[in-house]
Amino acid sequence: MPLKKVIETKNLGRVFKNGDIEVYALSEIDITIEEGEFVAIMGSSGSGKSTLLHILGCLDTPTSGQYFLDGVYVNDLNKNELADVRNQKIGFIFQSYNLLSRTTALENVELPLVYDRTGRFSNSKELAKKALEQVGLGNRIYHKTNELSGGQQQRVAIARALVNNPALILSDEATGNLDSSTSIDIADLFVHLNNEGKTILMITHEPEIAQFAKRMIYLRDGRVLTDELIKERSTKESALKELELNG
Amino acid sequence: MKQLLKTFKVAFQSINKNRTRSLLTALGIIIGVAAVIMTISAGEGATQAVQNQISGLGTNLLMISTKSEHRAGIEVRMGRRIDQKDFEIIQKNSVWLSKLSPLVANGVKAIGPSGNKSTTIYGVASDYFDILSREIISGSGFTNEDVKIARKVCVIGNTIKKELYDNLDPVGQQIRINKVPFTIVGLLKEEGQGTIGQDQDNMLIAPYTTIQNRLYGHRRGYNMIMASALSEDHILDAETEITTLLRESHRILEGEEDDFEVTTQIELQEITGNVTGILTLILGAIASISLLVGGIGIMNIMLVSVTERTREIGTRLAIGARETDILTQFLIEAIVLSLAGGFIGVLLGIVGNQIIYKATNFYIPTAVNSILIGFGFSVLVGVVFGYFPARKAAKLNPIDALRYE
Repeated sequence: MPLKKVIETKNLGRVFKNGDIEVYALSEIDITIEEGEFVAIMGSSGSGKSTLLHILGCLDTPTSGQYFLDGVYVNDLNKNELADVRNQKIGFIFQSYNLLSRTTALENVELPLVYDRTGRFSNSKELAKKALEQVGLGNRIYHKTNELSGGQQQRVAIARALVNNPALILSDEATGNLDSSTSIDIADLFVHLNNEGKTILMITHEPEIAQFAKRMIYLRDGRVLTDELIKERSTKESALKELELNG
Repeated sequence: MKQLLKTFKVAFQSINKNRTRSLLTALGIIIGVAAVIMTISAGEGATQAVQNQISGLGTNLLMISTKSEHRAGIEVRMGRRIDQKDFEIIQKNSVWLSKLSPLVANGVKAIGPSGNKSTTIYGVASDYFDILSREIISGSGFTNEDVKIARKVCVIGNTIKKELYDNLDPVGQQIRINKVPFTIVGLLKEEGQGTIGQDQDNMLIAPYTTIQNRLYGHRRGYNMIMASALSEDHILDAETEITTLLRESHRILEGEEDDFEVTTQIELQEITGNVTGILTLILGAIASISLLVGGIGIMNIMLVSVTERTREIGTRLAIGARETDILTQFLIEAIVLSLAGGFIGVLLGIVGNQIIYKATNFYIPTAVNSILIGFGFSVLVGVVFGYFPARKAAKLNPIDALRYE
């Protein structure tokens, strides 16, 4: 039985118009990501990583090509439908966590459920607790965000991305604000979540973090340069060892 | 509906998390509403005070006179002259009147130690001073006894004092009125110019009996009868009563017109009511400006708050909030703040009124309509001034909002 396609793009393109100047941020992107994959997208700045993430995350729409997310044809959706798709199918993780300040971890994790209109979640508190336990913060659920370390805050953000049981977890430089060993912890957490069946797409510019993924897509000038499986995946142990050697 | 409830919760959490800012935001509304309540109440208080003063001047005044018409520029008396018989009938039978006085007026020449002056002498009963609230600042008025035996006494106005007595105290002095010597028993308080510019102090007041018997030697009836109703509320009762009594006495048949006129001060009261109403309106308008400023304050802080919370809004949008969710959240925040501000403002206004009352003894009745106006306006302000920032928040592009530093 073929695996479900979580992401399928066909000849995707994004053009930004700035007056008379047209900037081709993305061209001819054909990516298919199946359920259970763990993909890292790499590329230098200006390579189109962020633009691709915004389109895949339904925050932006392509100017050409087609995008299917978990079987939904995204191109046709209006603003409200895009918001609902984000709410139901995507879990976002940001570089700067983007948690609500002066708010408990639990309330932060509950946030996506506040905007759920399907009514499929009956007990948002229980779900939020479970998600926090999943990221190893079961003992911190009533801590406010400003009482948590950077790594812990990012774990709260990951729990928030998990709570609505999305088809896809999108991470935008999740380790960008963290020190090396905490970054490795977070990458390791992604591996664990992936092992539990979560489909994860992460954007990063740190090769050592990208090495945790199963597959790497390298972008250059808005096009896919390489798209291959990673032969030697990093593990927490190997990465820490490497860190020690280089440190 | 369920979504709205959730949004309410979000809005309340947000207000609760920023207590200081919330309080500051509401402060403008608090002060504005309190100001509206206090000024409108003060306006109403002033209205009442003015009305009281007017009724002190005789809003319960009634004037009974012979009907007259203007014909070819000449005033022609149309009926029987109001006379002693009418006076006695009213005096004997009226229930709604408290005070009553005839009035006969004549132009006379008065001569004092330092000059002479053409003036008017009013012949009245002693009630007259009360009916018109005319104060005597030196000496006294005349008594019923003076009226009864037609004593040659009089009370003079300030102009007479100035021109005929060199501004010296004239009480006890003689004054010659049309060559008849009178004793001055009192000096009227200065009134200044009247509403049509007449000198209200160029007058003499004497018992009407004296004028009729000693000055002219005949009784030709009165110019009018002046009366006070028991209270302002009974002016119309008094008017009806007088009309009934006089129609009967004058044998006027049903369907025939009155041959006399009863005039009241109700019109004056209506005019002053309008004036004080305008006063209240102006005060309220000024206070409304502070409410407006409070509203702009809310808008200001909400706008700043939207900018400050751009990332939060971006995050909410990214994890699936619709534009309407954001719009509603911010609108609810603004409305809740202005409502709370309005409520506190109402309390503050009532307390403020009490404090002013305690401090100055100027009684301010807290006007119910001012509470409604103040509260209603605060809600309106919340909606109107909350909408713009809320819309701004909702229209944010999630990508830009997420990037916002």
